[in-house]
Amino acid sequence: MNDAPRPAAKDPGPPLRADPHRGAQRLASVVAALAGSLLLLFLAAPIAELVSAGGAEGLRRLGSDAELRSSLLLTAFTATAATLVGVVCGTPLAFVLARREFPGRAVLSAVLDLPLLVPHPVAGIALLLLLGRESAVGGAALDLGLRIVGTPLGIIAAMLFVSAPLFVSGAREAFAKVDPRYEGVARTLGDPPWRAFRRVTLPLAGRGLLASAVVMWARAVSEFGAIVILTYNPKVASVLSYDRFTSFGLSEALPVAAVLALLALVPLTLLRALRTSRPDER
Amino acid sequence: MIRLEGVTARKGRFRLDGVSFEVRRGEYGVVIGPAGSGKTTLLEVVAGLLAPIGGRVTLSGVEMGSAPPESRGVGLVYQHAFLFPHLTVRANVAYGAADDGTLREAADRMGVTALFGREVRGLSGGERQLVALARALARRPRLLLLDEPFSALDPRRRTLIRREVRALHREWGLTTLQVTHDFAEAGMLGDQAILLDGGRVLQAGTPAEVFRRPASPYVAEFLGAENIFSGTARDLGEAAPDWVDGRPADLAHGHRAFAFQTEGLTLYAVGDFAAGAGHAVIRAEEITIARDHAHDSARNRFAGRVTEVASLGALTRVTVDVRGTPLIAALTTRSAHELAIEPGLAVVATFKAMAVHLC
Repeated sequence: MNDAPRPAAKDPGPPLRADPHRGAQRLASVVAALAGSLLLLFLAAPIAELVSAGGAEGLRRLGSDAELRSSLLLTAFTATAATLVGVVCGTPLAFVLARREFPGRAVLSAVLDLPLLVPHPVAGIALLLLLGRESAVGGAALDLGLRIVGTPLGIIAAMLFVSAPLFVSGAREAFAKVDPRYEGVARTLGDPPWRAFRRVTLPLAGRGLLASAVVMWARAVSEFGAIVILTYNPKVASVLSYDRFTSFGLSEALPVAAVLALLALVPLTLLRALRTSRPDER
Repeated sequence: MIRLEGVTARKGRFRLDGVSFEVRRGEYGVVIGPAGSGKTTLLEVVAGLLAPIGGRVTLSGVEMGSAPPESRGVGLVYQHAFLFPHLTVRANVAYGAADDGTLREAADRMGVTALFGREVRGLSGGERQLVALARALARRPRLLLLDEPFSALDPRRRTLIRREVRALHREWGLTTLQVTHDFAEAGMLGDQAILLDGGRVLQAGTPAEVFRRPASPYVAEFLGAENIFSGTARDLGEAAPDWVDGRPADLAHGHRAFAFQTEGLTLYAVGDFAAGAGHAVIRAEEITIARDHAHDSARNRFAGRVTEVASLGALTRVTVDVRGTPLIAALTTRSAHELAIEPGLAVVATFKAMAVHLC
């Protein structure tokens, strides 16, 4: 028998005490997950129901319903035109807001946010006051042979009003993410400001600008309240779906609404692709 | 030439305040200062990227006023390189290149030709700095502005590139202004050292001058002086010739002898100082340590006891307690071994009157 002393058993130390907050934390996690899931379900279920109920019929009608086809084309055309105007006029504004400190910048930002907060029928009424044939602007446009209210121009104006602030806000953020020192280096390498903007700032902010333009386009496509007041006819898709609902009921409105919902997948997919952003590189 | 006269500029909450200095044509100026002292802001003012709110910036003899960066003939390299991430390495170097020959020479000498086909995203920090240097040089600027341009390079590469940049500076007749927080780098590269802190120039001069004759105890401390004492200097009159070792002519230039009283010690100094309350600065490498009272010409000689020995590779820092006052000496590690320096050992610390700087 070996009499050598055996090493003492390792002291296990005091028993581990259970975290008294663990149960509460688990409960909070379950409640949070449940609440999030409910919201997600609430947001996705109506669209899924709409597409499943009217998607196939809507796609079939694209072949047979000329009014639906032309309203979709009108929607795409006017939304694209409004987006182009927004990009051309909003990009310099966004750049200035991102780069320059000047008195009244906060006021300017607030003015730009205002259309997002005004109820859209109210926006339509305001635009009607500004651009209607009785107004100075509308009258002057008429003198030049341009009728705004009741034409695609009115649709573009309504779309621009409600969606341009989204572009300016996104573009401003995209420019703010580009360190001005990139431009500084380009300037010391011989570029005047405009060339530095074109060769350096614009490419670096490009993805953000494109994403903002897609958001603006999507918002323009989905606009109803301001358009319906400014230009009921010719009908864009959102007005057509409302018109069919009030004139013929749910069954006729459903295919148009479902096609509009499917159309929303295009900008959604684009945005997903664009937001796979690259890390900042210096 | 780069001349700043009373330049004031604001960047956010930071303010450059009345900055004045001159780096003459063909000189290599080094701006030294701690983080947040305004070094980068200063370069941006010179480059024209930040407009001063007061003072004058003169480059190559022309007052710049509000001249834009692209017309100033400057090349700027930021510490973080700021390579254009949407362009290849070659396109970055070629961005503002004067011509193909300069582009090739700049790339070759910075050692980045092999990286030409690479994307910026795959480069290491050191490679980015080299590409940024090549990009600035390829423009063949008259003035080169460098913001900690070697900080991400490994020590071997740093030495090589530092040498190469200095050589290009000389060959191309550039006037260079480099920012660093490393005084050793300033000593190696600079013809002019400009010490900046809190947006103000604390001292400007040759690196040797700034190093040997710091304008204030703060400057001395920033430059790594280990022995700084506060006390009072008393003028002893014209110094005896043997006080200025090997430099008797200095006396003809108004040098005087001083006794500086501090914490129970009297230090002797020679120079064109002012009497009264102030500080005495002695660099650790000026103090020698012996085990007995060896006879030499040093005026300052103190017996004490070693309290601390810290080996720093080739050098060893020895702290000697002299009547309650610590004196720090820097010895070669070989000398420390030969003298068998260890805590508790009784030694004699000596230094010349010329080694004591009063400010």
